[in-house]
Order: sequence, then C-alpha cells, then structure tokens
Amino acid sequence: MTTPASAPTRRPRHPARGGNGALAAFTVPSLVWYLLFMMGPLVAMFVIATLNWGSIAAHPKFAGLANFAKLLADERIGTALINTGIHLFATLPFQVLGAFMIGYFLAQRPPGHRIFRVVLFIPALISTAQLGTMFSVVLGPDGLVNGLLNLVGLGDHMRAWLADTHTALLCVILVSIWNGMGFNAVLFSARLASIDQSIYEAAELDGASHWRRLWFVAFPISLDFVSVMTMLQFLWSLFGSAALILILTEGGPGQATSTLSWLVYRFAFGVNGSPLIGYSQAIGILLFLLGVVGLVIIRRFIKQRY
Amino acid sequence: MSVTRAASPAVTRRSGQKRRPGLFGPGMVVGYVVVGLYAVTLLFPLYWVVISAFKDKFDVFRTPLTPTFSAGLANFDFVWTYLEAGKALLNSLYITAASLALTLVVALPASYGLARARGRIGGIVEKVYALGFLIPGFAALVPTLLLAIAVNMYHTREFIILYLSATAQPLCVILLTQFMRTVPSELEESAVIDGASRWQIFSRVYVPLVMPGIATVAILQFISYWNEYLYTLVIAGAQPARRTIQVALPTIVSGTGNTNYAQVCAGTVISIIPVFVMYIILNRRMEDALIQGALKG
Repeated sequence: MTTPASAPTRRPRHPARGGNGALAAFTVPSLVWYLLFMMGPLVAMFVIATLNWGSIAAHPKFAGLANFAKLLADERIGTALINTGIHLFATLPFQVLGAFMIGYFLAQRPPGHRIFRVVLFIPALISTAQLGTMFSVVLGPDGLVNGLLNLVGLGDHMRAWLADTHTALLCVILVSIWNGMGFNAVLFSARLASIDQSIYEAAELDGASHWRRLWFVAFPISLDFVSVMTMLQFLWSLFGSAALILILTEGGPGQATSTLSWLVYRFAFGVNGSPLIGYSQAIGILLFLLGVVGLVIIRRFIKQRY
Repeated sequence: MSVTRAASPAVTRRSGQKRRPGLFGPGMVVGYVVVGLYAVTLLFPLYWVVISAFKDKFDVFRTPLTPTFSAGLANFDFVWTYLEAGKALLNSLYITAASLALTLVVALPASYGLARARGRIGGIVEKVYALGFLIPGFAALVPTLLLAIAVNMYHTREFIILYLSATAQPLCVILLTQFMRTVPSELEESAVIDGASRWQIFSRVYVPLVMPGIATVAILQFISYWNEYLYTLVIAGAQPARRTIQVALPTIVSGTGNTNYAQVCAGTVISIIPVFVMYIILNRRMEDALIQGALKG
C-alpha cells in the first residue's frame, strides 16, 4: 500500500501551478479509500492463497504453493472449468451479438420501440437475489414451466429443472441470458443512435438491406464498443456467476452447475463441506488469471479495423 | 409518445421520412418477431410472479395463466411478518442512503480535484480509477470479509456502507469529473478574483453547476446499493436485525422442497416494489443514468 502515500508527496513538484497541492487534498481521501478497499483485498488474495487455512477460526499456516498443486490434481476444478467454459460460450453470443442485433432494431426507432425499450430495461432493475428467488420458483417442481407443460398436456415432460443433472446448467445459462441481454441491447441502441445517420443513408442508397447494414455498416463502426462490452460481459459472467448459483442450485445437483466462481465461494464458506479459505483463494487466483488471459484475447480479436 | 421525440430530436428529425420505406422491409418484420418474443419472455415470468402472489399455493400450479386472487393479501401478510420485511426494508434504506451520502461526500471533491488538475499526475490518477472497472467486485469477497473481522466490524451494516462507497469511487469519480470539466474556467477565475478559497469555489460554484451529474450518479448508485446481495449477506449477515431486503428474500425458498410458491412470489413482489416505484417516477432519467454509467464504464 505505498501507492496512495507516495501520490501526494509527488504533487508539489509542479510549482508552476500553485494550486496543485490543494487539489491533491481534494482527491487523496477518495483515492486512498478506493485503493484500500479494492487493491488491498486483491493483494491479500495472493497472500492467503499460500496459506493452509481451513475455517476463519482456525490458525493459518504457511503452505507455499501446496494449494496450487492441489488445484491441478483436483477433478472438481476440471469439471468447474468445463462448466465455466460452457456458461461463457453459451451466454456471450446472446449477451453481445444478440443484444447488438436487438440494439440495431431499436435504434431504427420502429413504431413501438419505446415500449420495447422499457420492457428490455426491466431486468436491469432486478437484483441477483430477486432473480435467483424468482427463477427458483419459476423452474421449480410446482412452478411456471411445469404448470404450463401440465396445462398443454405435456405433463410427462415435467421435471425439477434445477435439480436435474441434464437441465440445471442450461437453466443457469438461460436465466443469465434472460437477465443480461435486454439491458445490453438498450446500451447498444444508445450507442448506435449516436452514429451519423448519413452513413446509413448512403448504404440505403446502395440498396443495402437492414441485415447487410447491420453487419457491414453498424457493426464495424461500433467494434470498439462491442469489444468493451464483450470484455465487461466476460468478466461479469466469469466472476459473477456465484451469487446466482448460490440461490438457484448451490453448484448442484452433484457438480452440474459448479463454476470456478462458485467454487471460490463454496470453499470459502464451506457450503456442502468444510471451509478451506486458502484453497478458495488459490481458485480465485486461477479465476483472476483466466480473466486477464480472456481480456487479452478479446482485445486482440475484436479490434477496430480502421 | 411525445417523450420519445423530446428525448433525442437529433435522430428523429432528419432521417424520419427518408428511412420510412425501409422500416417495413423483411428485416424489420423478423426484428419485430424476435424482439417481440424476447419481450414476452421477459414479461411472462414477471406476470406469473405477480398473479401467483395473490393465489393460494395450489392454484399457482393448477392455473398458471389466470389471475384468481384466491388468497387475497394473505401471502403478503404472511411474508411481511415471516421475513420481518419492515425491518429489512429499513436496513436496506439505511445502508443505501448512508452509502450514497458518503460516496458523494468523498467523490465530489475528488472529481473537482481531478477535473482541475494539470500535468501528468492527474492523468495517472484517472487511469488508476479506470483500472477499478476491470476488477470484478466478487474477486475480493473473502479478503474483504477478513478485513471486516480485522477492524472489528464483522456483522455490522456500517462496514458495508464503507465498502460500498469505496468500490463506487471509480465510476462516480470518473463520471463526475466529466461533468466538472464542462464548467467554464472563467467562472473559477472570476471567483478567485473575488477572493474565494478553493473550497468555496468547489462548494459554491462547482457543486451547484454539476447537479445533473450528481443526480445521475445518485440514481445509478441507488440501484446498485439497493440491489447488492453477496457482500451484504457475507459481511452484514442474515440475522433479521441487520439483514437487508435482498438478503432476507432468498430465505423463503426452502431447501427441503416444501416451499410455498405463492409466498415466495409475494416476497419477490414486496422486494421489487421500491425500485419499480422509483423507475415509474424517474423513468427516462433512470434509464439515462444507467446507460451513462455503463457507457462510461
């Protein structure tokens, strides 16, 4: 934590603007506070990952890289890696490309677009706790989905969607898409609305259909924004799935919906087992590295071409 | 629909009649079908939750589509007491309001300092804040919990307030800095000539002028604070005296399989109402705030 302390001392080196020292006094409290709460825990994570530490009450012992060695041999990690990959690759195309298409549609301001916008915006107001609670009954044995199946005479296909190994992960994916795609679409449409309309008009004169205008005009122009959205969505899906999974399935049945993000939580708090804080943070570091690698890949592949 | 036109005249104005013919091409018809279906998928579970909240537990499954009101307000009655929802809503309000106040008290001066800073350091500091967007909050859950224990604030709402306002700094400072930069520097110069101190310039000139920015940040953070779940669950805890409505809500879903779905629906409705009422009142402003927050982030 040397960064916040060294920032103010360096400031007065610009004597030309006498006020800089005073300005620093305005900024430093916020900066220190932010670094303390955001960078501090991040650094601590790397330390904790080297400890042999069970529950919070237990005494931690230094364990070197033992947690990481264990991680490589643990087949639960392999399963979680696969689940995390499936979750990411199934949701990202909808959250980004699907949302972009809807955003383009909204940006054309067709009749009724205002109503669509309001509806698509609604999930942004719903919290993870509400989302999880709501869908645990929608998908539950006596819930909406089964009620509908029963109503139309497909009662044979009823099942406990979240408790079934074959459907649980699919449910988590669908709930993620349900929740994320609409708001992303509104964001894309806000972005597309700021594009100079004459570009579209030129394309229209050339006889380009909406489909072509969408992919060959609007998309390339917005590539930078698409890239940023992909990165944020990627990080959010990679790290953020734990809260939803905690409410919906607790990683189960078995390991069916266990993602890496969920494992960090599971081992930290000992859900269905005893807590292993050090190990949980080692998984956290694996998650962190995956995040960095993912960002670099996205940045490299989705790039403005002109 | 006058709202639409008022909102962004620049777009509708010129292109309106030119683009009309293309609007009903096959592409747009497909668009209507797809977006329409998605909109129905979004609304349908919400509709079901609302009508189920007024049913007795057997009707929820038997008549999934039709509102029967067979339970009247009984589910709400039960859930309100069971979740101690009054207390939970007050806890949510306390954490949200205190975090908001604290966030602004710290972020406003910081963004003024950044907006007026010259030279390299200002740029570096801004980059440090921008880095905050790339650190997913969840990563730091366990270390933050340990920090709460270390400073003897485990199981307190106050630690959540400190934590929430700290992690909101990057977004708030960067958004507010952009608003601060739009204030013309002549105003500041003339205030200096009048003998105003830095603090007076900040509080009497800048703060009143960036009120729209403050409103945007406040709306944005209101939603994110009100809806926070995981940190509040882990740090403030699930005991009725301290839990927020978000932490209380999932506790009605029983792990043992004898959950009363109608009651869960009533609980969900109760917990959603405050933000929806806000949305109905602020509508466009809230959308703009969330969009701005996300676009800048």
